Amino acid sequence: MLLLPILLIPCWYAMVNRVEHQVKNWNSNEFHSMLMSEIENKAKFLSPINSSATNLARILGSSLNGTALSFSEIETKVAPVLFQELSTIPYLSQISYFGLDGLFFSYYTDGNQTLAMYTNSSFFSAPNGRENYIWLMQDVDIETGKLYGKAIESRPWTMANASWFQEALNNKHGSASLETGWNNAQDLLFLNSARLNRGVLSLGFPVKTLTTIFTGVDYHGGSLYLATQDGKMLVEGLPKTHTLLASNVSCTMKDGTSRASTLTIQETEYTFYCLPLDIVGVQSVYVLAVPQNRLVSLVHKNKKVALLLLLVVIATMIGSFLGFVFIIVRAARGEMHLCAALIKQMEATQQAERKSMNKSLAFASASHDVRASLAGLTGLIEICYVEVIPGSELATNLRQMDTCAKDLLDLLNSILDTSKIEVGKMLLEEDEFDLAQLLEDVVDLYHPVGMRKGVDVVLDPYDGSILKFSQVKGDRGKLKQILCNLLSNAVKFTSEGYVTVRAWVRKTSLQNTMIASKRNCLPCLFYKNSQAYNDFETMDAALKDPNVMDFVFEVDDTGKGIPKEKQKSVFENYVQVKETAIGQGGTGLGLGIVQSLVRLMHGDIGIVDKEIGEEGTCFRFDVLLTICEIVSCNNVEAEQLEMGVGTHLLGLSSQTPSPEMTIRTPSPGLCARTASSKSTIHSPSPKQKASHVVLLIQDNERRRMSRRFMENLGIKVSVVKQWQHLSSTLETITHKQNHSHHNSLVKSYFYSPSEYLSRSATSNSITVEKDVPLSTMDGSDYILSVFRRTTPRCASSFILVVIDACAGPFPELCRSVTEFRRGLNNTCCRVVWLEKPMMRIINCKGIAETMMEPNDIIISKPFHGSRLYEVVRLLPEFGGTLLGNMGKMKESLSQVGKMPRDPSSSQGPVELPDHGSSSEIPRKKILSPIENLSHFKPKSRSPLNHGHLPQEQESKELFLSGKKVLVADDQALLRKVTVSRLLRLGATVELSENGQEALELVCKGLSDQSKCGTSKILPYDYILMDCEMPILDGYKAAEQIRKIEKHYGVHIPIIALTGHTGGEETKKIIEAGMDVHLSKPLESEHLLEAIRYIDNKWSCV
Amino acid sequence: MDGVVQLQKQLVDYIASLFHEGFLDEQFNQLQQLQDESNPDFVVEVVSLFFEDSERLLNELAKALEQKTIDFRKVDAHVHQFKGSSSSIGAHRVQKVCIAFRNYCEEQNVEGCLKCLQQVKHEYSLVRNKLETLFQLEKQIIAAGGSLPAT
Repeated sequence: MLLLPILLIPCWYAMVNRVEHQVKNWNSNEFHSMLMSEIENKAKFLSPINSSATNLARILGSSLNGTALSFSEIETKVAPVLFQELSTIPYLSQISYFGLDGLFFSYYTDGNQTLAMYTNSSFFSAPNGRENYIWLMQDVDIETGKLYGKAIESRPWTMANASWFQEALNNKHGSASLETGWNNAQDLLFLNSARLNRGVLSLGFPVKTLTTIFTGVDYHGGSLYLATQDGKMLVEGLPKTHTLLASNVSCTMKDGTSRASTLTIQETEYTFYCLPLDIVGVQSVYVLAVPQNRLVSLVHKNKKVALLLLLVVIATMIGSFLGFVFIIVRAARGEMHLCAALIKQMEATQQAERKSMNKSLAFASASHDVRASLAGLTGLIEICYVEVIPGSELATNLRQMDTCAKDLLDLLNSILDTSKIEVGKMLLEEDEFDLAQLLEDVVDLYHPVGMRKGVDVVLDPYDGSILKFSQVKGDRGKLKQILCNLLSNAVKFTSEGYVTVRAWVRKTSLQNTMIASKRNCLPCLFYKNSQAYNDFETMDAALKDPNVMDFVFEVDDTGKGIPKEKQKSVFENYVQVKETAIGQGGTGLGLGIVQSLVRLMHGDIGIVDKEIGEEGTCFRFDVLLTICEIVSCNNVEAEQLEMGVGTHLLGLSSQTPSPEMTIRTPSPGLCARTASSKSTIHSPSPKQKASHVVLLIQDNERRRMSRRFMENLGIKVSVVKQWQHLSSTLETITHKQNHSHHNSLVKSYFYSPSEYLSRSATSNSITVEKDVPLSTMDGSDYILSVFRRTTPRCASSFILVVIDACAGPFPELCRSVTEFRRGLNNTCCRVVWLEKPMMRIINCKGIAETMMEPNDIIISKPFHGSRLYEVVRLLPEFGGTLLGNMGKMKESLSQVGKMPRDPSSSQGPVELPDHGSSSEIPRKKILSPIENLSHFKPKSRSPLNHGHLPQEQESKELFLSGKKVLVADDQALLRKVTVSRLLRLGATVELSENGQEALELVCKGLSDQSKCGTSKILPYDYILMDCEMPILDGYKAAEQIRKIEKHYGVHIPIIALTGHTGGEETKKIIEAGMDVHLSKPLESEHLLEAIRYIDNKWSCV
Repeated sequence: MDGVVQLQKQLVDYIASLFHEGFLDEQFNQLQQLQDESNPDFVVEVVSLFFEDSERLLNELAKALEQKTIDFRKVDAHVHQFKGSSSSIGAHRVQKVCIAFRNYCEEQNVEGCLKCLQQVKHEYSLVRNKLETLFQLEKQIIAAGGSLPAT
C-alpha cells in the first residue's frame, strides 16, 4: 500500500520536472520568437496598405491627363474616386488630394460622421494670395459622397512645406509619415502619400486602429512597445516605462535580427526583444518585454504546492486507511474471542446438562435401589418385632429403628420425588375424592401439632364453594402432599398466632388461560421431555372442559415470614431461608417439590403479599381439578326431593319480591371476605325470629372464622371473647328474648328473606350445574346450597351456645349456662362444648351429670370443617330438631352436605329409630376427630356403639369407661401416674399399696358380688399388679387371687407391671397366673394392646 | 402481656432444650398431658414424689455400698426401683445410668457400682435443678396471669 505512493511520487515528480524543464526551454526559445512571428504576421497583413496610395495615384493618374487640375475637375473626377477609396479601403479614415497650386480635397471620418474638407481656391487665384486661402468643411452624404449642408470655414494647413509632401512629390514610391489628422480629435495618422500629376494623394490610417491589431495579441504576460524610428512612442507596454526604455534599450537594426536584453522593472525581470517593423510604410520599432521565468516560476511554485497537497492527501489517506485497518482488526479479534468463548461456554453447558441429566437419572435409579433396601430393612425390623418379647429393650430399640427407617424413607421419598420431577417421570394419578374431606383431614392432622406449640390451625370454609364442588377428580395423594408440606412448614415456622387454611373454587378464567398459555411458551425450559410437552397440550384441552374448575388454596400463617427478596428463591430446590430455618432441619426440597407438583396439576404457587404490619407468610396455589358429574346429578336429585317437601314454600315465597336478589355481589371470590357487608345483607331483620348463636372461643382467628361463616348463613351471632363476659352476654340475650317473645307469637310463621334466598339459590343451582357461568353465583350461595333449609316447626327462637371448654374454669362456665337456661322461658337452647381431644375435663368431673343437660353436645376440637357444619345443622333453620336427635345428626354429618337430608327429619322431632336402647345410656355424644375421619367406614357411622362393642371402637378416649381397675403398687409416684392415666381413659380406679392389700380388696369385692347374687360380674375388670412390692409381692398376690377366684368361677385379668425386661421375669409372671406382662413405664398404647389382647382371649373362651 | 408471652416462649424453648439434651423423654410429655384443670399440680406432685423417693433411695444405696460386705441384691433392688421411678417421670439420663448401675451390680463390681452411684447422684441433681427451674418458670407465668402453653 505504501509502495504505490512511494513509486507514484517520484514518478509524478519526474513528470512535473520534465514539464518544468520544457516550459523553461519553451519559454526561453520558442516563446518570444512565436510572439515575434505573430507580430510580423500582423505587420505583413498590413503591408498591402503600404502601396495603396501609390497604386491609387497610378490609377487616378492614368485617367487624368497629367495637367494641373482645376477644382471642378477635382470635384468631378478625383473626389468620387477618393470617396470610393475611403469607403472601401480598410482602416482608412482620411483621404485627401493636394494640388501644388493649393487646390485641395479631402474626405475624412470623424467618429461616425464622414466629412469633407476642401478648398476651391488656389494660392494663386485668390485675390489676397495666401491670406484668402481658406479651407471649407462640409458634411458628406455617406451613400453618394455628395456634399451637402453648409460649408464651414476652417483654418488651412500648410502642406507644401511639409516634409512628407515634398518627399511624396519627389519620391516615385510615395512617402509614409506620421501626421495628425484633421478631425476634431486630431488623431495621429499614418499618412501614406503619393504624387498624382501636380499634386499629392495621401491616405491616412489612424494609428490607434492599426496598433490595436498588435496589442490585441496575447503576449502571455509580456508587453509590447511600439515606436517609430524617429522616437515617437506609439504603444506603451508597461506604463511609464518608455523613458526608461529609451535610455536602456537600444535597438540595432543590424542583420535584421533581434537581440535580447534584460532589465528588471518593478522587481520583475523582463527580457526585451527589439525588432523593426514597417507599418503602412512608416519605419517603426517594436519592443517586446517578456517577464523572465514567469511561467517557469509559476510552474515551479505550483509544483511545490501540488507536491505538498499530494503528500498531505496521501498521508491522510494512509492514516485513515491504517485507522480503518486497525479498527477492523480489533473488531475481528474481539469477535473471535467472543466466538471462542461462546463455543467453550456452549460445550460447558452441554456437558453440564448431560451431567445433570445423567445425575438425575442415576439418582432416580439409585434412590429407587436405596428405597428397596430400606423397604427390606423395615420389613426385617417388622419381622423381628413380631418375634421379640414385647416390652423388652430389644423391642424398644427395634421400634426406634423402625421410626428411623421410616424417617429415612420419607426423606428419600422427597428426594426421589424431586429427581422424578427433574427427569419428568412424575405422572398424575387421578381418581375421585372428596376435597372438603381431604382438607379437613390434613388440617386435623396438623391441629394437634400446632396446638402443642400453641398455634391454632384453622380451616376456613371461606365462601363455601369447596363444599359445593367437593367431589372432584384429581391426584389426591399429590394434593395432600402439597397441603401437608405447606401446612407443616407453616406450623413449623409459626411460634404464636394461627395458621389458616382456606380454599375456594373459581371458574377457569380467561386470565388463567393466558397465564397458562404464557407458561406454555416455556416448556423447553421446564421440561426436556416431549411427554411433558404433550402434557401442556392436554392441559389446553382441559381448560376448555367446562367441568374443570380452578381450585385455589391458601395457607396463611403468622410466623416469621419470608423476606421479600428471598420469596422467589424459596421455591428452588435445596434453598432454605437461613434466618428462619436455623434449628428446624429439613433438606430444603419441600417447596421445590410443591411447586413442581402444583405445576404438574396445571396450577401455580406463589407467596401472597401481606399487608404491611401483618406478620407471616401466605402461600397461595391453584390447581385444576375436574368436577365429578355424578355429584351434580346427585344434587339435582336432591333438589327434586327437597322440592317435593317444600313446594308450598316456593309457591309462597315467589309472590314476595325479594330485594336481596339485586344486592348480590357478582364476584364470588373476595367479597366474601368482607364479612360485615355480607352480614348486613343476609342477616334477617331484627323483627324476625332467627336462631341466635353465642360463641365463646379462645382463639381469635377461629372465632372470627366461625362468626363470619355463620353470619354469611344469616345466623345472628354474639361473640364472647373472654369467659368472664359469658354470663353478662347471656343475661342480655335472656332479657331480649323474653321481651321479644310476646311479639314473636304473632309473626312466628314468617319466612325470613334469607330463607327465601336459600330457596332461590338452591333452585338456581340446578341450572348452575349445567350451564350458568359460575360468576353469577354468590359466595354465600355456595354455603346456602349446601345447607338445605327447612321450615322451623318451632315457633319460638332457638339459641345455640358454643363454648370452648378450655376458655375458663369449667364449673364457672357451667354455672353461667345453667343460670341462662333457667332464665329462658319459652326459648329453646342447646349448648355445644368444645373440648380438647385427649382431655376429658368434662368427663373427669363429677359435676357433669348434675350440671349438664342431657341435650348438651360435646365436640372435640378443632372446631371447623364438618364439625362446624354439623353445629350449624343443629339450628332449626338448617334441619336441627330441638330435642337433639343425634342419630340423625350423625347421619347428615356422614354425608357432608352432599346428600339430601332425609325428608322425615324436617317433620318435627323424630324418635330414635336405630338406637332404641340408647335412651338408657346417658346422652353424652362424643364427636372425636377419629370418628370423623372414618366416615367412609360404615361400621363406625354409629357413634353410640362403643358401649356395646368396645373392641371395635377405635377411640381410646374412653376405652375403659365404666371399667373398674385395681392398681397395686408400692411406689406412690408410680401409683399416681398410673391412676391418672387410667382416669384419663375413663376408668374407675381403686388403689392398693402392696400385694396383701390388693388381695384383700379382691376378696372383699368377690364376696360382695356374691352377696348381690350377680356372681358373674367381676369386682374389677382389670388388675394392674406391680411385681416387686413389700409384704406380699406381685407374683404371690396373683397366685393367691387365682386361688380365691376359682371359688367364684371367674377370672379377673391381671396385668403385671415390672421394671424388668428379661425373659426370666416373663416366665415367672406367667407361672404366677397373670395374663399379660407390661414393662414400666406404663404407656397407654401398651395398656390398650394388653386389654385388647385380654378381651379377645376371654371372649373366645 | 408481652412479658407473659416472652415467658411462655421461654418455657417452651426450655422444655424443648431439656428434651433435646436428653434430660427428659416422651414419658414426661405424657405426664404433662395427664395434668388438667381437675388436677392442676399433677406434674409438680409427681415430680416431688420422685424427688422424695430418689433422696431416700440414694441414701440407702450409699449406705448399702459403704458396708463391708455389700448386699448386691439389696442394691440391685434399690437401683431397680430408682430406675422405675425415674423412667416414670421421664428422667431419661438418670434411667440410663441406672441401667449401667444394674449391670455392675450383676457383675458384683464394687468400683463400678460406686462410680455409678456418683453418676446417678450427679444426674439426679442435674435433673432436679432443671425441673425446679422449669416449675419456677411455670409459676412465674401463672403469677403473671398467663396460661401454660398447651403441650
